Amino acid sequence: MDNDAQITLGDTVRPADSHPTKKVLCIEDERFIGELYIRALSKAGYDVTLEVDGARGLTLAQSDAYDIILLDLMLPNVTGIEILRTLRDPNKTPHLKAKIIITTNLEQREDVRQDIERQADGYIVKAEMTPRELVDFLNNID
Amino acid sequence: MASSSDYLSRTKRQYLTSLILMLLAANVILIASWITLKTYLHLNDLGYSIALLGVALVLSFSLAIILSNHLIAPLRALWQLVINITPAGGLPPPNIDQLKIGRELVADLSAKVLQLTMTVANAPNQPGSELSVNFVANNLPLPLFVLDPVETIVFANVAAGKYIGISTADMIGKNFYMVLDMSFPSENTFERWLKQVKTSSATATMSWERVRLNVLDNHPTLLFDLAAYYNKDNPEHYETMAVLFDHTKQYSQDDQAVSFVALSVHELRTPLTLLRGYIEALEDETKDLGNSDLSQFIEKMNATAQQLSVFVNNILNVARVDNDQLQLSLNEENWRNIVVDAVNAISLRAKVRGITIETNIAPNLPSVGVDHLSIYEVINNLLDNAIKYSGSSKVIKVDAHLSKEGLVETTVQDFGLGISPSIMPNLFTKFYRDHHNRSQIGGTGLGLYLAKAIVNAHGGNIWVRSKLGEGSVFGFSIQPYASLAADNKNSDNKEITRGAHGWIKNHSLYRR
Repeated sequence: MDNDAQITLGDTVRPADSHPTKKVLCIEDERFIGELYIRALSKAGYDVTLEVDGARGLTLAQSDAYDIILLDLMLPNVTGIEILRTLRDPNKTPHLKAKIIITTNLEQREDVRQDIERQADGYIVKAEMTPRELVDFLNNID
Repeated sequence: MASSSDYLSRTKRQYLTSLILMLLAANVILIASWITLKTYLHLNDLGYSIALLGVALVLSFSLAIILSNHLIAPLRALWQLVINITPAGGLPPPNIDQLKIGRELVADLSAKVLQLTMTVANAPNQPGSELSVNFVANNLPLPLFVLDPVETIVFANVAAGKYIGISTADMIGKNFYMVLDMSFPSENTFERWLKQVKTSSATATMSWERVRLNVLDNHPTLLFDLAAYYNKDNPEHYETMAVLFDHTKQYSQDDQAVSFVALSVHELRTPLTLLRGYIEALEDETKDLGNSDLSQFIEKMNATAQQLSVFVNNILNVARVDNDQLQLSLNEENWRNIVVDAVNAISLRAKVRGITIETNIAPNLPSVGVDHLSIYEVINNLLDNAIKYSGSSKVIKVDAHLSKEGLVETTVQDFGLGISPSIMPNLFTKFYRDHHNRSQIGGTGLGLYLAKAIVNAHGGNIWVRSKLGEGSVFGFSIQPYASLAADNKNSDNKEITRGAHGWIKNHSLYRR
């Protein structure tokens, strides 16, 4: 759904109020991509936090304060795959309410990719999805 | 205790004594006959000689028979014994007590033969031979696994532990497929072979090339050839034996070609992501300005970025096809949705060139068994070609229907430049492009090559009809899901995995 179409539905209703504001953690080391995602997601009423470092991203993710985690795979310090594994390990992350969406431009071997997909709630090739299409995708993941 | 050689010399003495006694007896009889003939018969010299010769002849024959019976008796006893202990048998054991000559020698030899056969029969249970088998298996410089009838590892040698990186103690008692997550270059996997031979064969052997061990990302991938031996009736339940021949270095050089492309693709995709993102942001920010020129520029930028995105995926997939690494997961899909999605995705590119795509999809098409992303790229590439070669024509027709053979057939028709008959045979070859149009029309000659590989991997066909100056029709057929599923009814999984000669997972355990 186009966000602007939602705004015109009622001038007193902000899109953020149409559903409880969802908190998104975007762990993405390519800052420009991160900025584009913040722009599109904020406009659609999401509350977005951007983190460019893998280690800090993992700490934030483990705080369990987010509804959605957008996780790049190639990250400095701690890779996305390590973050994913830590978040899915009940000994290291006892509780995680967030849906984990992998966002990457990396091409994996099919079986490696399937292994990652099994552990995540979504898998997106960034070049195949514009920020607006990403918003549509996130609106429909529940 | 007397030795065999004592028995031999004793037998020799017995033979000698018997011979001397018999010869002496023969002489005595001859002398007696001579005296008797002389005393009681009055013959002339000739008759006398003939009579004596007759007695000598009878005597010689009798002695020869008696002697040969005595001499052959020990040999016969041994013969009877050997026949008696052979598996076929057929004779009772010899009665050695009746032997007059060589009894001890025959008894001694019989005992030795019996002992020898017992040793051979009990050989595997002897501690010495057990040790030698273990020694060979343990120190074989190739990873070796022995499996029981339910594919539990009952033995793994030192080399196996080292190769897999798990101690042999940790492997034993575990399911083979859990320890070794293997992928095979064809659908004839180890597991499939084993299932089949278990129902049909007592023993069997098989080998596979280019088997891949799937490991987590921080371990190097192992590539090897695999040989297996199956023996249904092994009393110890050592039913299956698998030996690995490592070729990681050799085979991974092929992989590196793909890795290089994959890395290049990543480097191309990052700026592409940004381009597409900023074009969209620009579109958002400028749409209220009402500047139609600006809107058109942005649309064209967008279409170009999309085209680049298709190209980037094409080079990656061509590298996969060429290196046997394109893997398809065929799922039940609604064909109408896929065609409509593909047409919508390319409509912007058609629009900026003023081309309309007319879509006609037959109602009630059966669902199809396809790999969504790959088959989408087939339609995308055919449409991309149709747009490129439309010339001044402004219509492209997409048609999907059920063929007479019961296949789902899809055609993409343009009314543009057409293809000259001379180049038609090479159309689906990699890097092949129409040299007449090469200077005017961009492209790499990868699209049709890839489309053919993907359609073939789906078990379908792709074809073209064209007339120079009138346009071209590209068509391809794919199977309805029902017939595909019928072909794979042994599979316990809804998903069917295929390679464009690509990697096939060994075990459903690891499929999604």
